[in-house]
Amino acid sequence: MVDIDVDAGPLGEMTATEQGVTAVVVAFGAVLLFGLLSGRLAPTYFLFLVGLAGMYALLSLGLNSQWGFTGLINFSVAAFFGIGAYGAALTTASSSPVAGGFNPAYGLVVALVAATVLALFIGLPTLRLRADYLAIASLGLAEVVRRVVLNERRWTNGNLGVRGIPGFFDGWPVLSTFPEAIPGLRIAVPLGATVELGEPFYRMLLNVLLVTVFVVGSYLLLSRVHRSPWGRVLRTIRADEDLARALGKNTYRFKLQAFVLGSLVMALAGVFYAHLNLFVSPATLEPITTFYVWVAVILGGTGSTRGAVFGGVVVVVLREGTRGLAGLEGIPLDAPSLRLVLIGLLIVLLMRFRPQGVLPPQRELIWPDVVDEAPDRPETGVREARGDGDD
Amino acid sequence: MTDTVLRVENLRKEFGGLVAADDATFGVERGTITALIGPNGAGKSTIFNLVSGFYEPDAGRVEVDGVDVTGLEPYEVADHGLIRTFQTPRKLEGMTVREAMLVGPQDQPGESFLRLFTAPGAVAAAEERNLADAERMLERFEIDHLATQPATDISGGQTKLVELARAMLAEPEILLLDEPAAGVNPTLRNELVAQIRRLNEAGTTCLLIEHDMEFVMELADPVVVLDRGSVLTQGPPETVQGDDRVIEAYLGGGA
Repeated sequence: MVDIDVDAGPLGEMTATEQGVTAVVVAFGAVLLFGLLSGRLAPTYFLFLVGLAGMYALLSLGLNSQWGFTGLINFSVAAFFGIGAYGAALTTASSSPVAGGFNPAYGLVVALVAATVLALFIGLPTLRLRADYLAIASLGLAEVVRRVVLNERRWTNGNLGVRGIPGFFDGWPVLSTFPEAIPGLRIAVPLGATVELGEPFYRMLLNVLLVTVFVVGSYLLLSRVHRSPWGRVLRTIRADEDLARALGKNTYRFKLQAFVLGSLVMALAGVFYAHLNLFVSPATLEPITTFYVWVAVILGGTGSTRGAVFGGVVVVVLREGTRGLAGLEGIPLDAPSLRLVLIGLLIVLLMRFRPQGVLPPQRELIWPDVVDEAPDRPETGVREARGDGDD
Repeated sequence: MTDTVLRVENLRKEFGGLVAADDATFGVERGTITALIGPNGAGKSTIFNLVSGFYEPDAGRVEVDGVDVTGLEPYEVADHGLIRTFQTPRKLEGMTVREAMLVGPQDQPGESFLRLFTAPGAVAAAEERNLADAERMLERFEIDHLATQPATDISGGQTKLVELARAMLAEPEILLLDEPAAGVNPTLRNELVAQIRRLNEAGTTCLLIEHDMEFVMELADPVVVLDRGSVLTQGPPETVQGDDRVIEAYLGGGA
């Protein structure tokens, strides 16, 4: 069912699906551009949406390296996202009950360390066991983390949440003063009212810059490791762990590494969220996030890095797009319910017509230089006519 | 002088009240193709799992090349040179045949996450070497035309050949084959016999479980017969074939 198109290199022709996806993305971009030009979509809000899309892309990339690469079922995406957000918030915020006011760069480090500790806490005992145990334990973990954050007021402010989180670039040279220093712009858009690009716009632009760095960095890292002997062992574990063990691979170590790696990427999404929203509360840890991210990974194509990014963006489009729809006449549902109905419908259609996802992995994953530098291999097709008995 | 690659001594495993392996003792001499046969439930698969580290024995000892590997993890047993295959190999979804082959080689630098970044040159060099080895191995098994096929698209018999070829990339001291001929069409079955014989002539020691008696008699010497978890008899195939106790065990006569 999975097509593996070996001959299509980076310069090879795109498959029909890729062409379709490209067309949809271009069309969607055109709609957004029209929205921006006609003044119906405020530029700052648009950038906020881009930030959200990047955040979901990060979460999907993280889950994809656990479930897509290795077959680890993690139902506590929200917990790793939350620990990233709280790690950053508690380190940097002015209202932090522990030790706030540090530079956001320290917050990033604290968040990543906290996520590693949490991943090891859940991974060390369960990854030795059958795959189901991680799923069960992680289901509980998300709720445990949420309850701890809610009830340990002296550490987390409880349900009041943490306020006064600075922007990520506050305290940095140049970038911290950039939003105020840059002169505001008034742009007369062709199809509507004048659009003002002031300080909030530039602040949001910095956020988008941050999430872009996170997403691009994670994407490059994950594509690299996916296409390596390390990633190959992960994929073997996913298909048949006993086979990997019989071939001398210490599968426990590989699973633990993949689990921590995915959790770190999820925590990055949390760090970004804290500095985007400037406020985190236990609602940040709602299990619905986990559900959305699973939808994103399955929709994009399990095991595919670019599919994970695509799925993350689609989920944000669905989530935010339904806000507008609910205002229309004749739709008897409010936005949150409509959103869930749409996402449910999407999953049903996907499972019925394209269970492998929109952009499943389809290329051979051998260390890049090696395949490109070995053009003298006999290609498939040369001996294709050969039968089994033809010796 | 005998040179024992695999030594199994008084190996015992119980599942609840059932004794699956009952003081099984035998050895596999270097350079032989030894077959492990016995009626259903005799404990052949249990012994395989005990030897390769998938089960932990209740008692007894397993030695590979003179090193005690009792109770080690499968990957550690593999490190000592014992590689096993499975009765029903699962296919590696989403991989091509040559990609699936590349899981075989041991101690690849690219399997360390850190070295992917600290030593990309060494990783690329090893990958290139392994790919060349894999393709040479596929050629030797006369399945190189499958190299870039999806691993999920090849027949059951071809999967067995690929599995055998991949196991050879691990350069084992001893190869444990779990029913290599099961579910394989007659043409490929003969191919498998030829390939296993070729490997053996090139110096690989094999221990195989097989129900197909013709296959066993054609290939194996000696044959170890298991019954109810312990070794009933062992010897050259002709002797074993004519042994009354063996016939009785197979026909289920019992005392």
